[in-house]
Amino acid sequence: MMKRYLFILFTFCFSATSMLAQLDSIQNLDEVVVVDAKLTKYSEGFKVRSISDTLVSRNNTSLTDVLRFNSSIYFKENGYGMVSSPSFRGTNASQTAVIWNGISINSNLNGQTDFNLIVPNAADHITIRSGGGSVQYGSGAIGGSVHLNNKISFKKAQENELELSHGSYETSKFNFRRITSSKSMYSSVNVNYINSLNDYKYIDKELKNENGAFQKLNVGYNFGARFNNHILTWNSNYFYGDRDFSSSITAPSNNNYKDVTTRNLLTWIMKSNQFISKVKTAHLFERYRYFPDKDKLQFSEGKTNTYIADYSLEYFASEKLKFNTTLNYTLIDGKGSNIDSNKRNTLSAVILMKHNISSKLSYGVNVRQEFLNDFENPLLISLDGKYQIKPWYAIKMNASRNYRVPTFNDLYWDAGGNIDLIPETSLQAEIGNVFNFSDLELSLNGFYIDSKDLISWRPNETGLWQPINIAETQNYGLEFSSEFSKRINQHALSLLMSYSYTKAINKEKNKQLLYVPFHKATGLLQYQYKNISFNYQLLYNGEVFTTTDNIGIVEDYLVSNIGLEYQLNTNKTPITLGGNINNLFNIYYENVAYRPMPDRNIKIFINFKF
Amino acid sequence: MNFLKKLTYLFIAVLILASCSNDDDSGDPVLPLGDYENGILITNEGPFGTGTGTISFISEDNSTNEGSIFQNVNESELGNIVQSIGFNGDNAYIVVNNSHKIQVVNRYTFELVATIDTGLINPRNFVAVENSGYVTNWGDPFDDADDFVAVIDLTTNTIVETISVDFGPEKLITDRNNVYVAHKGGYSQNNKITIIDTSNNTVNSTVDVGDVPNSMVLIDNDLWILCGGNPSFATTETNGSLVKLDLNSNNLIQTFDFNNTTDHPSSLTIYGSNLLYNLNGSVFSVDVDTPSIPTTSILDGSFYTMTANGGKLYATDAGDFASNGTLKVFDLSTNTEVESYTVGIIPGGIYFN
Repeated sequence: MMKRYLFILFTFCFSATSMLAQLDSIQNLDEVVVVDAKLTKYSEGFKVRSISDTLVSRNNTSLTDVLRFNSSIYFKENGYGMVSSPSFRGTNASQTAVIWNGISINSNLNGQTDFNLIVPNAADHITIRSGGGSVQYGSGAIGGSVHLNNKISFKKAQENELELSHGSYETSKFNFRRITSSKSMYSSVNVNYINSLNDYKYIDKELKNENGAFQKLNVGYNFGARFNNHILTWNSNYFYGDRDFSSSITAPSNNNYKDVTTRNLLTWIMKSNQFISKVKTAHLFERYRYFPDKDKLQFSEGKTNTYIADYSLEYFASEKLKFNTTLNYTLIDGKGSNIDSNKRNTLSAVILMKHNISSKLSYGVNVRQEFLNDFENPLLISLDGKYQIKPWYAIKMNASRNYRVPTFNDLYWDAGGNIDLIPETSLQAEIGNVFNFSDLELSLNGFYIDSKDLISWRPNETGLWQPINIAETQNYGLEFSSEFSKRINQHALSLLMSYSYTKAINKEKNKQLLYVPFHKATGLLQYQYKNISFNYQLLYNGEVFTTTDNIGIVEDYLVSNIGLEYQLNTNKTPITLGGNINNLFNIYYENVAYRPMPDRNIKIFINFKF
Repeated sequence: MNFLKKLTYLFIAVLILASCSNDDDSGDPVLPLGDYENGILITNEGPFGTGTGTISFISEDNSTNEGSIFQNVNESELGNIVQSIGFNGDNAYIVVNNSHKIQVVNRYTFELVATIDTGLINPRNFVAVENSGYVTNWGDPFDDADDFVAVIDLTTNTIVETISVDFGPEKLITDRNNVYVAHKGGYSQNNKITIIDTSNNTVNSTVDVGDVPNSMVLIDNDLWILCGGNPSFATTETNGSLVKLDLNSNNLIQTFDFNNTTDHPSSLTIYGSNLLYNLNGSVFSVDVDTPSIPTTSILDGSFYTMTANGGKLYATDAGDFASNGTLKVFDLSTNTEVESYTVGIIPGGIYFN
């Protein structure tokens, strides 16, 4: 352990003391400044994909909807708008990290992010990074990570955008963003609100979705200032969610859940010829309140405060070689009805290295070691490489060792919490092929993940449910995606498709894991003529298992949405009018057993830019 | 989501119950009364929150093992968390906890007769006394003051009266004009038996017994009550106990304490003049004529519930609680396993038709 510590310290100092060579291209600070370097510069051998603004705006009710229709991530949603857990490459919900401006925001209580509590419009960029990312992003980035970044750029601009929409089930949305920036200042504010009764009818049943109403309010503020070689940025986000948890076909419900999260991040960036140094401090707060009977005042709650101090130094050793070293201290203070009051300190050291051997060949070596008060942590390593074999064909590879630490609930839950838990670990490898032709981009990735010491809640000999490090899983699969776009005169056509095959095996039983479909496919056809555009969205979700013996199933489904948009005013202050029909063919489908999803529903919207 | 899942698991953990010890005789049918006339009925709770519980039927001659018989006959869902069954005449009263209802079916054909879904809040167990059904209800599980026993008029299948009782009423059993209600204590713990006089539907008296009375059987003039003791996660863990209540005086006359505070026995059932129960992965037997806490077991196994009948012990294993469970049958003359059947998810009750 000591040796390892010394090694890291040594490397840290080494990279900070040598003073050679010069800069590469990242210093083009006139445009965009704040980028997550780990995502853009140290992930070359990984599949990293951004979701465009247009795609986000089309399914902007929740991050679940954005990713469900536009990625191969599968979501287990407990009734529309309710708790939504991702399964990324067949891993469980706490093995997908959500990273906000470089910081992991997965709950410290249950280890995961409820994707229905993330307002997609609050981020400027939504990026999906597939594969292991624990070295870069810490606990939980096993299947992959979803990045919500706010852009801060220093160019003179003033933009306002207002969108109002209304649709079925009395669903109303309000999205507003205002950006003002100059060569030395940037500021943006966004306000997002959604309110829905969500009382859709269950097709062919005498029931509707009772007790499913929700409302969410999100306010974000991002600020940047630039003077000489210094940049100061401030990111804030405040969220309030109030949801009734819906009944199912067989069980009524009168529950309610209220969530509050706040996030504040202050970053001071200093650059010199060979270095970029970043000092970050952040505070994250999360709190849930669960009301088993919403007509009563009684509730249980859990909350955590997270304090982060982070220093990273990026060093450009030569045109071809760069290092990024980070020291991070995180203090988590958790409290709750069932977890008492507990703290966790984490000190982590990370070294990332990126080497461009030639313009065609590059590789990266990344190492992380954490030092915690609760348990010993494994040394995490990640290797990746990219080889541009032809101008139109590149091959990417990566292999990594990743982990997930036990959550506060796992450790301290009364009754059952187990303080003897150790982190879950996984080994994984991936090969990706990227083909780039003029109108067509194709990618094909194969992955393999082997996980052990997975935390699983099981009854002990006295019947008490306790988490133990027992499960072992093996996931492997293929992901294919394609993007075709063509513009002829005033006609523009694009077609996006994805398909994934995921095998996620519980080694103990040799059966597919619960709620992981073998097959998932998405499709999007967009056609634009002048100022009219049409889109057709398609989602195929294969059958999933609801019991560990794979006897209980939720059937597969195919859902279609269509949308039509018309831009009224194409000059500097465009107004867009549009409408969507979701579940066009009014099919009955369940995402979770006995929880039907919405019937055919419509939405109309108007968007002003000024 | 994980949090809820865990909460759910905890709920399930606390929902553990032994079988209902309705010792009803099914009469002596001459003509076939239905497809499910001679055999074993198993209630399978099913997954909590979503999904449905089921009832499995295993015929006496072993020729049939049919799952989901309610759904097969009625083509509708039974409901979420199938807790227990009580019987009266030709009817079976299936108590569905989390759907807050009772499905009344013909016990031999399983055709739906009625659904009682008004006035029940987290119903647990049913027992019939003449023309009335008595159903224990937790009410709001987080409220200790709203627990009750509902009285159902079995001709109209409606609730005609509710009797307010101490918190966490669970099993009930009837003798003469009385209904004995064991207060296991819902999601926490309790230690009482409420005695309801069925002639006027009022609480006659409340008797303190050991902590967490989880199962009861009647032998002659005695009510034997098995108390599990407070579990390890309770404020104070306590040992289990076996308690004898005299039905003439309704007084507690004997208590046998288990040796260790970590001893939490469950599933009391009768085999001849012996009481069987499950403890620490074994089944033990107590002779009611010379009662004492035994030190040696008769067979091994940790069961979700078990019931002795006709010289055999029927015991269920819920496995990982997320897939089909198993029913095991032991011959009590040799204490060996003789049969094993696959049943539904979380098999929590065993009944004989």
